[in-house]
Amino acid sequence: MRCSDIPTNPAPSQYPSKLQQIVDFFEGLSEEDKRENLIVYSDGARRCEPKADEAFDLEDIRKDEECTDTVGVFLRVDPEGKAHFRLTLGPQVQTLTKAMTAILCKGLEGTTPQEVLAIPSDFVPRIVGGELIRVRSQTTYYILSRMKGICKVWLDRQRLKSVD
Amino acid sequence: MTAIAKLLKSIKIMNYVHPEVLVDAAWIEAHQNDPKVRIIESNEDILLYDTGHIPGAVHIDWRRDLQDPVMRDYISPGAFADLCRKNGIAPDTTCVFYGDKSNWWACYALWAFRLFGHDKVKILNGGRDKWIAEKRPLTREKPAYPQTDYPTSTERKDHEIRAFAHEALAQSQQRKPLIDVRSPGEFSGEVTHMPEYPQEGVLRGGHIPHACSVPWKTAVNDDGTFKSADALQKIYAEGCQLQPDEEIVVYCRIGERSSHTWFVLTYLLGYEKVRNYDGSWTEWGNQVRAPIERGARTP
Repeated sequence: MRCSDIPTNPAPSQYPSKLQQIVDFFEGLSEEDKRENLIVYSDGARRCEPKADEAFDLEDIRKDEECTDTVGVFLRVDPEGKAHFRLTLGPQVQTLTKAMTAILCKGLEGTTPQEVLAIPSDFVPRIVGGELIRVRSQTTYYILSRMKGICKVWLDRQRLKSVD
Repeated sequence: MTAIAKLLKSIKIMNYVHPEVLVDAAWIEAHQNDPKVRIIESNEDILLYDTGHIPGAVHIDWRRDLQDPVMRDYISPGAFADLCRKNGIAPDTTCVFYGDKSNWWACYALWAFRLFGHDKVKILNGGRDKWIAEKRPLTREKPAYPQTDYPTSTERKDHEIRAFAHEALAQSQQRKPLIDVRSPGEFSGEVTHMPEYPQEGVLRGGHIPHACSVPWKTAVNDDGTFKSADALQKIYAEGCQLQPDEEIVVYCRIGERSSHTWFVLTYLLGYEKVRNYDGSWTEWGNQVRAPIERGARTP
């Protein structure tokens, strides 16, 4: 790569439209209003759980060192290639992580697995704000990494199928 | 609970050197409208208080409220006085702390209050989880109390209950009691972060030479309450060979888990010279030429 190839002014991060709407909404809020809305989202995390009649292409339920409790990620990709996520959280998962789960479930609904993999994680502080981002709240990034992980597995399998 | 079980429980509590420092849910409910009592929630989960708390409880955040926003240190005596004023805390207010994680951060906040000379402090035994397990009420309503005129103290009591790196080093070199309350993996150097937590920026693993490994959790029961005085005696007095008048230094990663052990040693077992090295492993493990020992060492 030549030096002239390196972009000097990178374009602002692009998020899927639903996620962008959530980012825009949070960016306009005061710290206190951010907290209140994060609580509302954390309350809604249970609605992200799989419904009894739903089937998935991939399920990934595990307890990692980075998170205080088990997190389950469920992925269904419809015939149009759009991803639909469900998530389960153990009771010890922190409130901020619960909120981020609900935000991502809503914000990434209907995106493609490729789009999910390309999402930069810099939207997290834009939603949460500087006051709440701490070393010990880094697990807010964990949910996105798990969603990306399951999308990567799905894409790898699709690639293998196409080779076969 | 049967009458005999209740009696046994109270006898166990009476064995503590300062049993008055622990309160239970019934005590909280009896004192909820006591103007001389302020209930304080302090958590690791930053938003947990906002999701619901004990009615009347105020929130004190370990980082935003107690730590200097720029330098790694605690707030000034003036900022502490302001914190108390806005939370309706007067010098004679009894502050009862509780929180998540078996009261790690509640003990940390209590310790920080002691740094500023506020000695009327108590802990809700079992913390937030036990309160919820007992199906006690929670509210999202944030209370407001009349502002007090809490005076600004002239100094922090760092020299009494806080240890700095050079003091921890001296403690190690003189083979005086030094208790590492982290998990066995952190102590041995096998891992450089707490189990289930992200790396907090430490470069080296292991422990301060000659430290005794007693993970904080050995002091609590499954429900987050403190073990009986007898059990604690066995763990600390016998296990670490602690003598009543000895100077003791405790540490962990950033000083919160060690605040829990500091509380146990100071209040429940009555050791009078216990200091918390709050710089802990995130300071020691990054410090150039700080001596480090690896491998397991148990009492």
